[in-house]
Parts: sequence; C-alpha cells; structure tokens
Amino acid sequence: MVAIDDGFEALLEPFYNGKKLTDPISTKEDKYQLLPAFLKVKGLVKQHIDSYNFFVNTELKEIVKANRFIKSDQEEKFWLEFTDIRVGTPTRNDYSDIKTRNDVTPMECRLRDMTYAAPVVVDIVYSRDRKKIIRKDIPLCRIPVMLKSAKCCLNSATNAEMEIMNECPLDPGGYFIIGGTEKVILIQEQLSKNRVIVEADEKTRGVSASVTSSTHERKSKTYVVLKKDRIIMQHNVLVEAIPIVIVLKALGGMSDYEIMELVAGGDARYQDDFLINFDEATKAGVYTQQQALEYIGTRVKMGGPKNRPFNMSSRRSPVEEGLDALANIIIAHVTIEGLDFYPKAIYIAMMVRRVLMASHNPKLVDDRDFVGNKRLELAGQLLSLLFEDLFKMFVSSLKGNMEHFFKKPNRTSTYDPVGPISGQGAYITMGLNRAIQSGNWTVKRFNMNRAGVTHVLSRLSYIAALGMMTRISSQFEKTRKVSGPRALQPSQWGMLCTSDTPEGEACGLVKNLALMTHITTMVEEAAVKRWVFSVGAGVEILRNFSGTEMHKPGSYIIHVNGTPYALTRYPKRFAHNFRKMRRKGFINPFVSINLSEHFSSVHIATDEGRICRPYIIVKDGKSMLKPEHLRLLQLGKASFDSFLVNGVVEYLDVNEEQDTLVALYETDITQKTTHLEIEPFTILGAVAGLIPFPHHNQSPRNTYQCAMGKQAIGAIAYNQLNRIDTLLYTLVYPQRPMVITKTIQLVHYDKLPAGQNATVAVMSYSGYDIEDALVLNKASCDRGFGRCQVFRKYAAELQKYPNGRRDRIGGKEKNEDGTVIAKHAALDDDGLAIVGYQIHSGETMIKKETPIDQSSTGIGTDRGPDEFRDASTNYRIADPAYIDKVFVSNTEKDSAIIKVQTRQTRRPELGDKFSSRHGQKGVVGIIVEQEDLPFSDAGVVPDIIMNPHGFPSRMTVGKLFECLTGKASVVHGRRDYGFGDAFRSHPVEEMGKVLIDHGFSWEGKDYLTSGITGEPHEAYIYNGPIYYQRLKHMVQDKMHSRSRGPRAILTRQPTEGRSRDGGLRLGEMERDCLIAYGASQLLLERLMISSDGTEVDICQQCGLFGYKGYCQTCKSTSQVTQMTMPYAAKLLVQELISMNVGVRLQLEDEFPHPQHA
Amino acid sequence: MDYDPMAMDDVESLGPVVKISQADSVRVKFELSNVEMPFANSLRRVMLAEIPTIAIDLVQIEENSSVLADEFIAHRLGLVPLHAEGIESLLYSRDCDCDEYCEHCSVKLSLHAKCTGDENMQVVARDMIPVGDRINQVLGSPVITDSEGQGPLLLKLRPGQEIKLTCIAKKGIAKEHAKWAPTSAIGYEYDPHNKLHHMDMWYETDAKTEWPPSEYADWEEPPAEGEPFDFDAVPDRFYFNVETAGNLPPDVIVNEGIKVLQQKLAGLIHELAEGEGEANGYDGPRSPEYNGGGEGWQDQGYTTPYGGGNQSSYGGAGGTTPYGTTTPYGAGQNSW
Repeated sequence: MVAIDDGFEALLEPFYNGKKLTDPISTKEDKYQLLPAFLKVKGLVKQHIDSYNFFVNTELKEIVKANRFIKSDQEEKFWLEFTDIRVGTPTRNDYSDIKTRNDVTPMECRLRDMTYAAPVVVDIVYSRDRKKIIRKDIPLCRIPVMLKSAKCCLNSATNAEMEIMNECPLDPGGYFIIGGTEKVILIQEQLSKNRVIVEADEKTRGVSASVTSSTHERKSKTYVVLKKDRIIMQHNVLVEAIPIVIVLKALGGMSDYEIMELVAGGDARYQDDFLINFDEATKAGVYTQQQALEYIGTRVKMGGPKNRPFNMSSRRSPVEEGLDALANIIIAHVTIEGLDFYPKAIYIAMMVRRVLMASHNPKLVDDRDFVGNKRLELAGQLLSLLFEDLFKMFVSSLKGNMEHFFKKPNRTSTYDPVGPISGQGAYITMGLNRAIQSGNWTVKRFNMNRAGVTHVLSRLSYIAALGMMTRISSQFEKTRKVSGPRALQPSQWGMLCTSDTPEGEACGLVKNLALMTHITTMVEEAAVKRWVFSVGAGVEILRNFSGTEMHKPGSYIIHVNGTPYALTRYPKRFAHNFRKMRRKGFINPFVSINLSEHFSSVHIATDEGRICRPYIIVKDGKSMLKPEHLRLLQLGKASFDSFLVNGVVEYLDVNEEQDTLVALYETDITQKTTHLEIEPFTILGAVAGLIPFPHHNQSPRNTYQCAMGKQAIGAIAYNQLNRIDTLLYTLVYPQRPMVITKTIQLVHYDKLPAGQNATVAVMSYSGYDIEDALVLNKASCDRGFGRCQVFRKYAAELQKYPNGRRDRIGGKEKNEDGTVIAKHAALDDDGLAIVGYQIHSGETMIKKETPIDQSSTGIGTDRGPDEFRDASTNYRIADPAYIDKVFVSNTEKDSAIIKVQTRQTRRPELGDKFSSRHGQKGVVGIIVEQEDLPFSDAGVVPDIIMNPHGFPSRMTVGKLFECLTGKASVVHGRRDYGFGDAFRSHPVEEMGKVLIDHGFSWEGKDYLTSGITGEPHEAYIYNGPIYYQRLKHMVQDKMHSRSRGPRAILTRQPTEGRSRDGGLRLGEMERDCLIAYGASQLLLERLMISSDGTEVDICQQCGLFGYKGYCQTCKSTSQVTQMTMPYAAKLLVQELISMNVGVRLQLEDEFPHPQHA
Repeated sequence: MDYDPMAMDDVESLGPVVKISQADSVRVKFELSNVEMPFANSLRRVMLAEIPTIAIDLVQIEENSSVLADEFIAHRLGLVPLHAEGIESLLYSRDCDCDEYCEHCSVKLSLHAKCTGDENMQVVARDMIPVGDRINQVLGSPVITDSEGQGPLLLKLRPGQEIKLTCIAKKGIAKEHAKWAPTSAIGYEYDPHNKLHHMDMWYETDAKTEWPPSEYADWEEPPAEGEPFDFDAVPDRFYFNVETAGNLPPDVIVNEGIKVLQQKLAGLIHELAEGEGEANGYDGPRSPEYNGGGEGWQDQGYTTPYGGGNQSSYGGAGGTTPYGTTTPYGAGQNSW
C-alpha cells in the first residue's frame, strides 16, 4: 500500500483512543474503523475528483473518438483523423522549453491570478500527396485542472511535498483555480435520464409516461399520454400528438394482435382498455407500416434536426422523414441497428403498459422526488458536455479553415493542419475558462443554458469550504410553491444529510451529501450485458420473444439502464447470482441490480450519477465483517477496496437499497437481515457532523448550526497566512472542541477548528442578557478569548495600453516645506505601503498612476500629454489596520500585479455575534469585569454567561449534554470522554459519576457566589465548557451613523448604504407613524430640511418653473413666487414635462394673509 | 428587630481573626472570621483586581520574521507574569516626571532570538532579559516555575526566522487589563453546612450523597438533628483560597489586598472630611465635576491613559468618526 499522508493514519492506528494492539476487537464497537478506510478511497470530495479523472482519462478520448474524422468537401483526397488526446500536467501558460521549470503549483496560480490548467495534446494522422502523415503531441488547448485530481501536482503528494508547494495537506481539493479565484462546480441534481417516469395528472385524471432520452448527439423528451381513454405519443419534433397504435405500426409490421400482446399481454383488463386505440388508427386510415410512416412523416416538424448533412437531398419523402424521426429522434437512446425497430417497439409498448397499469392502480405511478429517480451531475460530466460542444465547434472551424485553404485556385504549399489546430484550439481553452469563471453553461446542441453552475469557494472557514464541496444544487424551480421536492425523503436516508440545508427560499432544494455517500461514474454497459447471460441459466435475450411470453406471469424482463434487454423465469436466482459475481469482484461494484415485483422486472443500472454508499454484508444472520478484518485494517494490510472483493462490504444505490433489510446495529440482525449499517451517524454530512449529541436536539437547531458553522471564524487551512484573499478571518487562539465527534476527526475539524471552549454559566445576570444576548468576562477577552484577525486584500494591476504607455507607481508627494504629505505617510520610497505600518483611513497604499494619454497612436505627431493621473488605492475603513504583506508579481498577461494585505486584530466588543454548536446564536450584551462575575468555591469564573431562557423553547438538550460531558472530561483529564457522536448512547450517568468523584454535583450544577455581594446565588448554576464559535458578523463592520454627508447627484437625497456613508431612511411606515401622531414639524424636517428641500421659483400665472424670479414662459416677473419643495418632486415635474406630460403647479395660501382675505 | 448589643460588642472587641490552614509558594488557604460578608467580599475583589503588579505594556518591535503578527506577539508578551517584588517603589507611568517611560516607572526587557539550527526553535520567557537600571534585581523578571526553567512558551521560530524586540513593563492593576492580575483564582466560601440557608440545596434523592461536602465541612459544627433555624444568624467565617499567578507570593497578595482596601477607605474618608469644610454649606448631591474635583474625587488611580475596557486593542485614538472618513478625502475632518 502506498503511504499517503491524508491524516487518516491516526484513526487507523492500533493505539488509537487508548486501545492497544492486543486489546480485543469487537466488531460492534470498532466497525467505525471502516469509515476512515472508506474515506481514504471514496467519499466527501472524492466524487468530484473521481468524476474529473473519469472525464480526463476516459470521456475525453471517447469524445474525440466520436468526432475524429475531418474530410474536406473541396479536396476529395484530403482527410484528417485525431487518433489520441492526452492531458498533461499543469504548466504555466507562458510555456517555454528554455525554462527549467514550467510546472506550476496551485498556490502560485492563486497569488498571481492565473488559471491552474494543463496542456492538452492530440495525435493526428492526415494525408498529404497520397501519403499518410502522423504527427504526435500537437498542443490543442489548455484545460483547467481540478485540485488533487490525477493530473494535479498535489495528487499523491506527501505532507512534506505539500508544504514545499505551500499547500495545506488538509485542503479537500476538488475545485478549480481560474484567474486566481477558486471555483467549485456544484453537484447538480437532476431527474434520471433514459428512464421512464410515470406520472398522474390530478386535474385531467390523465396518466403519462415520459422519458428523457440523452445521447451524445441530442437530448429530447418523449411522452406517452393517456387522455380521454386514448393513448397518444407526444414529442417536440412532432407537430401534433400521434395515436400510439400508429407509432407501433410504424415500428415494423406488427399485426394488431401482436401489438395487443406486446402492450397488454394476456391481461384482459389491459386488453379492454387498449382496444379503443386501434379505432384511432382505423379512423386515420392507417393499416400498414407504410401508411403509418407516412402519417408520422407528415407530422414531423420541418427542418427537424438542424445539423442535417447537406449532401443528403433536402427534400425527402414523408416516409423517409417518419423513418428518420422514429429511428434517430424519438427515444433516441434506444439505438436502431440494421433497421430492426423491434427493441424500440418493445420500449414504447412498455411505456404504454406502464400507463395502463398506472391508470388501473394509481399506486403504480413513480415518485419524482424518490432519490433513486435522481442523478447527480458532477464536474466531470458537466465539463464533458461543454468540451464535446467546444470540440465539435473546433472541428467545424478547423474544417472551415481547411476549406478556405483548398478554395485557393493556385496553392503554393500543401496544407499543414498543425498551426490551425493550435490556433483554433484556443477557443476551447477560452470556452472552458469562461464557463467555469462565469458559471454559465451553454451547450448549443442541447439548447442548454444554465447559470450559476459554479461558485466561488467560500474560504470563510475550513468547514465552509468543505461544506461547499458536498453541496448539491437542484435544477428545480425555486419559486414554485410545491413542497414535494423540498421535503425530507425517506429514501435519502444515509445518502443526503438530513440536517444540512439552507433556510429560506432554497430550503430543501440545496442539499448536502452524507458522510459515506459516493456518486457513481459510468460503467461500461457492454461488459455487464455479457454477464447477464453468463450469470446463470434461464436468461434469454428479449429480441426472441413476443409479447405473449414477455408478459406471462412469472416472467421477468431484465432492464439494463432502463431499456428492456432480456427475459428470465428465475429473477431471484438471477439477482442472487449477479450479486455474488459482484461481491467477488467480477462485476464492477457500482453496478446495481434490483427487482420490481409490481412490474415483473429486474433493473440493472450502470449509469453515472447514481447515489450510493457502502454497507456491511450480512449472510445467514451473521455479519460478514469479522474481527480479523478489522485487525488487518489496523495493521494496514487490508484496504476498503479489498473488503469489497472479499464480500465483506458492498455499495448499494438507492434503488437496490429498496430490496434489502438493513440492520442499524449488530444486535438487531435477524435471519432476514441482508445488510448492516457501518455507522449510524453517517446519515449526517460533514457539516452536521460537528454537532455533539445532535440526536438530542430539536431538528431545526441542527439545521441552524449547519448554516452558522460556515460563518464561524477559525483556522482556514495550514497555509492561511500565505494566502492573500479579498477577506480572510482567522481566530487568534482556535481550540479543539472539548466534546468532539468521530466526524470531527474524520474531516479533521480538530486540526483546523473554528471556536473556543468557553466556561459557560447558565444564569441570568444584569438584564443585559435578554433576547439571547451574552455576558462576556472582560478578563477572558483580555486573555485572548474570541480574539480574531481580519485580513483584507487591496490589489492593483499595472496595465499596458495599446499606444505603448503603461501604468506606473509614483512617488510620495511633498509639502512645500519638504515633508511628506499626510496622505502618503504610509508609503515607502517605492510607492507601496510599508509592511508593519499602521494605516489610517484615507492613506494611500498603492500609489498607482495611469497615463492621461491612452488613445493616441504615438506615431508621428499624434502624441498625447505625458502627464499621469493619480489612480492610487487608499485605505477607506474608519478603524486603522496594519500592513501585513505587500506582494508584487506578474500576471499571465505579463502585466505587473500588486497586492497589499492589511490586518486588523479585533477583540470581542459589544454586539459581536457568537454561537454555540447548537444553533444558539447571540450577541454580546455586556462585558463585565471579572470581580463582578459569579465564581465557584474553587474560584472558577465563567467566560460567558448565557440566559437560561434560551433553553425551554429551543429544546437544545444536546448543548446541556455537551456542557456536562465537557465538564467531566475536563475535571478528569480524559479527553476521550468527550465524544458526542450522533446516535451513540449518551454517557450522562457515567459523566455524573465522574463529576461526583471529583467533588462536583452529578448534574453539572455548582454553587456559585455573586461577585458583587459575596453571597451565594440561591440556585445552583449549571456550568461547564461549551464550544463557542465567533461568527463573522461584527459590529465594527456594520456600525454606521451620519449627520451630514454625501447626496445622490440625480435626486439630491442622501445616499444609501454604509459604504456610501448614507443616511438612514425614514420609510413609508415611519412616515405613517409621524402622520398619525401629527408630528408635522418633524415630518417637515425629515423629508425636506434634512433631505432634498430646494427653493424653486414658480410662476402662478402659468404654473411652470421660473428662474431667478423670472418666468420664461410668461416673460414676466409679476406672478413668480418662491417655495420650497423636495428636489425629487421638482425632478419628477421636469421629467414629466420632458415626456410631453404637462404639469402645472397651482399655489394657494394655506393661511391666507388677512389683507387679502 | 431583635437587636442584641452585647453580641455586637463581642465581635468588635475581638476584631478580624485569620487562621491559616495551608500556605506555600503558590497558594494560601485561610479562614477569615469575625468579619462581615461585605468586608470579606471586598477583600476578595481587591485582591482580584486592584493590587498593583508589573506587566509588559509596550513592545517595540525591531525585527519580526516569525509567522505571528506583531500585535499577536505583543499580546502574548503582555500576559507573561513578571516578578512584582518591590512594586511599591515603582511609580505609575502617569505619575512619573518622564515623558514616556524611565527606570523609575518601568522595567525594560529585551528579547532577541534567531533560529540558526535546522529544527524549529522555541522562544520562551527565559529568553527575555531585563536591561537597564531596576529598582531591585527581581522586579520585572519573568516568573519561571517549570522544572526546566524555561518559563512560558512565547512563540516558535522556523530556521532563519528572527525576532528582536524591546518590552517596556509598567505598573498597573487588573482592573485595567487582566495581565496585571496577581491571582489566578480566588476561592471563597462560607457556611459549608448551609446552616444559614443562603442556598437551596436541590437534590434528586439525597442531598448528602449528591453534594460532596466541602473541605471546610469539618471546621464547623454540622447542624444538630432537629436544630431550629436561626433567622438572625449572619455569616462570619469565610474560607479563602488565594492562588497566585506567580508575580507576587500569596501572603503578599493578601497583605497588599488589605493595604489597598485600607487606602481606598482612607481616600473615601479623606474626601468626605474635605467636603465638610466647604464654605457654602451645600451638602446635597452634586456633580462629580463640581469645583473641578473631577480627578481626585472618583478617580482612585485605577485608570491609565491607556483607555478602559472595550476599546479595540490598537487604541481607538485619533477620534475618527464613523463617517467623514469613508468619503474619499475626509472633507477636512481628519487632522492631517
């Protein structure tokens, strides 16, 4: 076994948790050791990496193979073939053979704003003068490399090598670096392709079966609908729905009897229901296949497939049209070989049968939300979609280039495709980069246009980054008010985390993978098809049977990836043998098989994107996992994959899971049990796994914590101080939680924690703790509790302009007396800020200057001024910071890039947000001197006082357990006490005993004395260590007030928002209050005087605005008066006038002058 | 209202009594009797927060190529306990005649470490060397109690990294910052048998088994079976457990605590007496600033110009208003 430092060694170590090599192993207690073994090979972010590897190693070659020939229309003799495609290792873009090192590390890409990409080379064969020319290693394009994938330089690097590359060994990988930003392609959830889904429409009481056919060429959806007792087929390519019998007739000369048999079998109920459909065909006058094809052909949309080869005659007979549509467009994934339409007829008949069955028994409709009916699309698949599109475009543009060359009447040279290949290949590079950069996935041949596929990897905390890698985003409607897709599905047990989903509009649509979930990659179908026949007797290919035999009771149709393939009389034996072969390792472990009694069918699935997870196999009421297996694992002599072929564990996908009886614990095993769970806590994901005792909490609290854990400030990665991110938060003294879970160890949260163990007393104190506010101990803050650092990036790029001018860095400006102006106090002689200097608001950090002349050509007399304009980057935040780093380098475009990182150290202040791991957030309400705080008889003073009112309604019992367990392990000095795994029996009694042994009350309460009076508190106070996270929301970043300040140009009203030093809006509701109260002078002040009141001149004669006491319309000053009105109102009037809407202002005195009255 | 003058006389005639049960270099346990509870608690509070000690307050960093940020190291240095013997001869910086600091009001320590080997190097408190004149030979030296004589770990250096800095240790009290705290914890309890019923001993089945007895339970008579509850009883025996952070010996802490408490009371009496002599005869409530008495009146010397509690550590100096600075050039509101 190759020793890879992935941090799991400690967990596999025989001495782990105080266990010795000689200690007895119990499969019941120690079977969790399978988990680290599993995570070594699969799980968490491995599915991203597996998928990418599959794309780079297999899929890429397949795509090129499918599009490998280019033939010229002009020059008959010329042809070109791509024979192979390979992806290299990541290199710098400015590759050159002269340089000794062209390989690039991810860290360099992040810092220099480059793209982490590898060159792709192709081998080609082409003809020149009737000779075959073979050219190898022609650079085609550059493809972004996923971190830690097979092509990445971090793949199988040891910790020491990682350190040299400035990379964190705990970083999950699985993302891309495009232009210096880390981009994740989120897992996309979709309804499975090439599977029939039967649905019932509640309103019309119609039943429909639909299938989304997806092949490399096209994607289309076919419906078979039961409407008013008649069954029709609908498809995008068909102008109108076609009676199903006509379709079946068109598919190869079956008699009416044969059609009836194929659809209904011997069942009289289905026969009766289906009979009426024959009338439809008769009504349309369709009796023969020829007539049926004609009928369909005339209803095919003209110009059907866009990329029809243009050497074929554009006018085709309706029969040809119909044949083409049936063969290539409708249900395209069932391929037609040699004009044998029978398999397709069987397929359509199956859909019809499913519709009939569902109309008889409404229970037989499919559930769209069933996880087994879903497929997850990963980075590799999405990239392959995109690459295929780009490659096809590349081929056609290469062909265009070729034709252009051959069109020349007198050529001087022979055609050399090498240059054009590299030239046109740049579009592939650009296309890939742009898609990942922007997240807009545009695949022309599928008419696919998806936005928001990629996201910037959140580096707020380690857990935020990890959580992003396991996130699944749904393609479904976000706005529709259907609860189905959002609800918790029973079939997501163990596959998708039950707690980790956002609140609000995306609730239930964005999900997360559970700890042991794996997503399958594609397995070759052909090999599995061969196994179908060799796995046991009594299996025969479906082609040989008629409907009578297929639907005979006891006959089971074997479907491979949803398509009927073979027939058997012994489905159970078949499935059993098939599984046996799989457990022996002859069949790929990710191939699943399951029986369906309702439809008399066996389903074998080999496709990609299925969700699966491992289980321990149980045979004859006994777990196949024996202590010796675990011993081998501990000694490092066995791996998870070896258990897979030894029949100890196996992967089941959601569909196959339905056929099993899984025992949760070893004690629950009965004779009927088929599988055993590895660990119950794996139904939660990596983020929910941080919560201790989650099974004692009210479920929404766990969900809240999943959202908040991602906002907690802590250690980001081991290389956090080498990174220059736009915003980076780190905790000064992060601590490993006192109470941890096995998940915490597995995801290494204990090595990169985000929080501190605070001694918490649950009591009321001072009244500054209502509504979840916390009381903090000032001495604790002095000593470093909750102290965090905030790093901020300021970057400037020195551009070059087409006229040869370029940006530059200027020097410090001086006052008349020779001293440096205050604004430039932080600058060094090089025009950049000094590292370590305290920088205040308004001071310059990068004194960049741009040339005023950017457009002149510089040729002859066309020269602009030589002056430069100041374009410096200034520090704009009210609170000062220190310059932490100054970074100068070059980008890929060879322009200089300067990054300045500032650092602030912040101690907790009033209003900063904290949270425990149980969805209990609170802000600091007051910070109290240590001597005023309550203390125990041993002198222990709490760091935080939490109001007990936070408990009854929230029901976070897990928090109480965390406190008690933590306290017991603290007083006893045994950190292995502090385990709060989900679904582990809670150790409360044991902990109570430990506390009593150490002179504490068993229930965690202590006798505390008031620090103010010196009297004991009448009640005993529950106290102990609770892990508290400091969240990123801090008062300093939000505090805002304004007296006078900037105004918007257009309306002259105060600007909006803190960043623009805006005012606080007195909105409609506030206005309503003031009106209701009658505070007219206050209203006047808020809405006019303090806002946009303006003096305007109004002519009372014409009602229009005048100017300087003179009315331009009436040419007089006689009737012009002055009034104050909001500038916005004046603007409205003028805008209306400009749109030819006349506005006249009529003024009258509210309080008429007595003389005029 | 059963006031018994005889009993009170007895107490007053005896005065506070201290009985020490255990004392070593880190902690002293004693019983303080014949005092009232507020007095005992005052002593505790003063020992916790108002005994002057010495701690690093200013750090001048010349070279720092370690991974830790300057203010990170400065914070760690501040928390290192320094010997405070003879602190009474050291002046508060604010009372000193010097401009910033001098040997009368501060102790200078220098730290210079460079990792020249191949292994990571640990920089410990022992590496801080006091420089310049000191009031005595121990004041300001780092407290080292571990068996290897290393003292607290300050930071680690990788090969080639260097740290060079000068620390200025000043006199201060824990009210201002916890680094000046002489104690790490003060235990304080009374009435181990809960005879006064100051608390409600909650229990599930049996209080005796569920509540382990205090170590002072033997010192007092347990309540006799069926003893009537004495409503008038007040606590008068307090059990202290003073544990030092290392900068002062525990007995000194107690003595100093009493002294500081005395001074505070003396100050109060002095101020009250001064008020009597005032001419205009007005003795109602008045503003603390009245007659310019702002300083001597309320400021008992436990504030420094450094600033109080909740300010961010780099000093909110400069008086930057939250707006004004966000406009690009500050509209002349900033003072440069």
